[in-house]
Amino acid sequence: MTAPVAHSVKPARRSILNWFLGVGVVGWAASVLYPVLRYLRPLGEAGAGGPLKLSAEELTTLGKSHFVIARSGTRKVIVFEAGGELRALDAKCTHEGCTVQFVPGDSLVWCACHNGKFDLDGRVLAGPPPRPLAKWVAIREGNDVILTMEKA
Amino acid sequence: MEARREEVRASVGERLYRWLDARFGVARLVEFARHKEVPVGGHSMVWYYLGGTTLFFFTVQLVSGVLLLMYYQPGEATSYESIRYITTKVPFGWLIRSVHCWSAHLMILSLVVHMFSTMILKAYRKPRELTWVTGFVLFAIALGFGFSGYLLPWNELAFFATAVGTDSVKSVPVVGQWLLEVMRGGPDVTINTLYRFFALHIVILPLVMVAVVSTHLVFIQVQGMAAGMAHQRPDRPGLRFFPDFLLRDLLLWLVCLIVLATLVYLLPYGPGIPGMEWELGKKANPLTPAYPGIKPEWYFLWVYQLLKEFPPHLAGMEGPQAALLIVTVLMGIWALVPWLDRRASKGQPSPKFTDLAIAAIIFMAYLTLKAWDIGGHALPGKLPDPRSTAWACAWITLGISCAIALLRLLAYRQRWMYFSGAALLQVVLNGVFGLDYLLAGAAALVVAIAGVVVTSRKEPAVQLRAPK
Amino acid sequence: MNGLWPLLLILGSTPPAPAPDEGKLPASLEALFQEKDKDGKPILGDSERAYLKKLPPHTRELIGKDVDALTVGGASHLKALLALELPSQGAAIVFSDNCILCHTDPESQKKIHLFSADPKASGSAEHLNLKSFVSDVHFRRGLSCSGCHGGSPEKDVMTPDIAARWPKADVRHVDRTWIPEFCARCHADPNLMRGFNPSLPTDQLSKYRESQHGILLLKEKDSKAAQCVSCHGVHGIRGPKSRQSTVHPQAIPETCGRCHGDPKYMAGYKKEDGTPLPTDQVDAFKKSVHGKALLEKGDLGAPACNSCHGNHAAMPPKVSSISQVCRTCHSQNGTFFDGSKHKQAFETNRWPECEKCHGKHEIAKPTDALISDAHDGLCGSCHAEYAKDKPECNATARYFRSSLGELVTTSQRLRPEAEDLAERGLDAEPILASLEEASEAIVQTRSRVHTFDRGGFDQGAKAGREAVSKTEALLDLARKEQRYRRNGLLVSIGLMSFLAVVMGLKIRELSRRRARGNEEPRAR
Repeated sequence: MTAPVAHSVKPARRSILNWFLGVGVVGWAASVLYPVLRYLRPLGEAGAGGPLKLSAEELTTLGKSHFVIARSGTRKVIVFEAGGELRALDAKCTHEGCTVQFVPGDSLVWCACHNGKFDLDGRVLAGPPPRPLAKWVAIREGNDVILTMEKA
Repeated sequence: MEARREEVRASVGERLYRWLDARFGVARLVEFARHKEVPVGGHSMVWYYLGGTTLFFFTVQLVSGVLLLMYYQPGEATSYESIRYITTKVPFGWLIRSVHCWSAHLMILSLVVHMFSTMILKAYRKPRELTWVTGFVLFAIALGFGFSGYLLPWNELAFFATAVGTDSVKSVPVVGQWLLEVMRGGPDVTINTLYRFFALHIVILPLVMVAVVSTHLVFIQVQGMAAGMAHQRPDRPGLRFFPDFLLRDLLLWLVCLIVLATLVYLLPYGPGIPGMEWELGKKANPLTPAYPGIKPEWYFLWVYQLLKEFPPHLAGMEGPQAALLIVTVLMGIWALVPWLDRRASKGQPSPKFTDLAIAAIIFMAYLTLKAWDIGGHALPGKLPDPRSTAWACAWITLGISCAIALLRLLAYRQRWMYFSGAALLQVVLNGVFGLDYLLAGAAALVVAIAGVVVTSRKEPAVQLRAPK
Repeated sequence: MNGLWPLLLILGSTPPAPAPDEGKLPASLEALFQEKDKDGKPILGDSERAYLKKLPPHTRELIGKDVDALTVGGASHLKALLALELPSQGAAIVFSDNCILCHTDPESQKKIHLFSADPKASGSAEHLNLKSFVSDVHFRRGLSCSGCHGGSPEKDVMTPDIAARWPKADVRHVDRTWIPEFCARCHADPNLMRGFNPSLPTDQLSKYRESQHGILLLKEKDSKAAQCVSCHGVHGIRGPKSRQSTVHPQAIPETCGRCHGDPKYMAGYKKEDGTPLPTDQVDAFKKSVHGKALLEKGDLGAPACNSCHGNHAAMPPKVSSISQVCRTCHSQNGTFFDGSKHKQAFETNRWPECEKCHGKHEIAKPTDALISDAHDGLCGSCHAEYAKDKPECNATARYFRSSLGELVTTSQRLRPEAEDLAERGLDAEPILASLEEASEAIVQTRSRVHTFDRGGFDQGAKAGREAVSKTEALLDLARKEQRYRRNGLLVSIGLMSFLAVVMGLKIRELSRRRARGNEEPRAR
């Protein structure tokens, strides 16, 4: 755009046009770059399908009531401590889908809805549940607890 | 103030220019750009922009594709999940994916229109035969992009479409089974197929594409853009490429971007016609049974429909084998058009090839409409009735074809319509009268050949009247 | 019993792989292939030959010997036996058992003694179904005819001890009291049963003696009362896990209903209070929540008749025990009830706890509408009679009803909204998860109705309300995000359109300038 000014066109109008052009280009660049930059900024949490970390709040619950129900996407996981060992199972009962709980006294996982009982590895001990609870792996890493699905 | 600032800017620019010129001889390029012109007249300027828009959409694909790659993780347990993650969790991930999908379809659309305009305007004629061939190769690569990218989300639709699509490869004689297993990375579509398609989609095809696009562009720069056929006016000055044409090009690209954004705004998951939707749906599970309505992307639909039209066995071959043979022959003819069309290469009018392009459009349009099941009322979970579909599609094709023919006759004074007439005959025989598709095709072929034989005898007499 | 062991050995051993030159049939067997029926067609064909060839050589020889000894009477007899398509072990049992061989030969047997693979076609009684006999749990463990009927299968005549073992035919068909003792000869012997199925209980007879059926049959000598055969069948007995068994959980309602659903059969039987025993239990059960779960949903954990009444010790649960029966599954509700005000009242009035409100065989899926203080409602009708003038109770009932109703309607309203947002590509996962939490809380809250106390109920209702409001908040966030996306795109489309217009103007201006400047080449 370094062409000499043509006398016939009013310079004022041209400079307004150029100014608009500049604004337009900036607006265009902003509307393209903003989403891209936001897209590139990492989210700072575990990636898709990644392992699950218990939050501080969940850890205190675990300490207080011997078990905690954590959430990974749409799945619920029960984490409990039995015999000094940390264990985790799917928290959704295989019978009607209620959330199970850990009964420390009996050392079993219990579903209150229809009295389904599971052992610490998720196998059905008693009651109507048709299938065992899926197992998760719970690992302590420093002060954190990391849960991952056990591969079938 | 303003003037002085511009002066400083100019002097900085001037210095940079001199610095570069001393090292790379930029002055020559500038000289070239200054004299580069785009021919004017003969036909609408619109057709000169389509290559540019295709290139624009390809650039969008490169950028959005690289962005998607930053979160996409190929793998049995991650492909689907990472796409889900991109669309639901990553800020603007939904936008990037939607742009990538829309732009892919728009790129192919723009490419197809570009190709047909080149065909009808005879821009392939001597000396631009190789430009046509590289363009054809680009078309094939673009289809490869579409096909390989379709599988990457690892959802049900993609899985089945890929299973069906790759399966047709096995009808290639002798090496079919080998080729199938190489493509799939095993006898069946598994996660290994996805790894192969992934490599193809993000490394191999982009490399080849960039190389061929560069060749295509170099050819165009060396030879300049083709002027209109029968209406060349060497006396009239062309439009300057720089800045006049380029500015218009930029404006059009901007409009393309606006169109893209509007489409993403209105229909983030595509228009929802078969072969043009990208709802993530369910994760692929090789053990679930296939369901009706599995279709490839829209630009493959005519081949898909052609496969369906063929009987299980034909002339000692399996149906799909025969169908693919025909597709290969047609594609071969298409690629070799610059050499087949001898009249155009001599600069003479060549109405037969104009008509061939129109015939191809009719042929593919009818098959595509049928593949969309237009007019076939289907109950959910059932396949629609093919007879009523054929009937409705035939009438639609007939209507559009007649409108095109009328336009050609009145506005362009084109008379030679044996090919398109033959294609239309097949549509009518099959769709309206219910004749078998292949029999109708044979009848059409006879008409087309008769047309060529009859008119070639008095060929010297055939003259296109110059338009007003 | 000793005759059993060789058979067991055969069953336990795998057949030796046939040598390459084998597959030849014994001469006598080969001769049967020449036999023609009355239309002159060969009776045995290629499929029979193929089956015979697959058998191990010693079994083929066994069949050849049977043919020689005429225990296999001819081609059609052999054809009928081969049609059972037994595995090689089963075939070895059948062809070494003269009881079966004689009693399947249509030429020599009367209809009432003829076993047939298709009893209807041959006109024999249904309990002489050969096909179900060879799949009988006893037969498959090597216990064949002689195990119950006596005699010895290797002899080719019937020995007198067969007749001596059971009461005479005219007696035993009328008087069934001998049956439980007869089955118990084996089934009550832990040492014997351990050899077959160590986990099978052996206390069936002692339980049976104490059951209503046992009392009727053994003490009152009522042969109409159910004994072993009535439920388990005779020649086609299968274990309870087999889908074809008469005692599979899903088959039990039918099996019990054969007697208990037949008013004619049950005529004359009375309940303790003297009223006639009803016969509509099975129909009521099929319509109940348990019946639907068991029979329609296929939930084998759902109770069938025996889950509440017991099987061998079948008895109607009494008022004192009915609540315990329900608690085997519905333990939480029971615990809540035990801590409630109603516990005392129910005990005073000697009401069965759960049944009082939910019924028994016809138990419907409870709805929130059950909680009603209207005078014909569940709460209202009882309170009108026994706990009049307690407005606070009515208020509690209304509170339960309205709280639950609100939770249910709100979460029902929110679900389609969440699904709609998911369809538009928004992250609906946390919303759906929180909705899931809400419906879980609703289940808990419904269970807590059994505390009949506002405080107890609110522990569940509070969680539900929290989940619902959390869902609403998440939905709001998602809607905001949706608006942000759309508006953002609109703004950028606007900006780009502005740029496009300006560019268009610039192009026009440039070409106008060019036209005026008369195409003079630009200097740099």
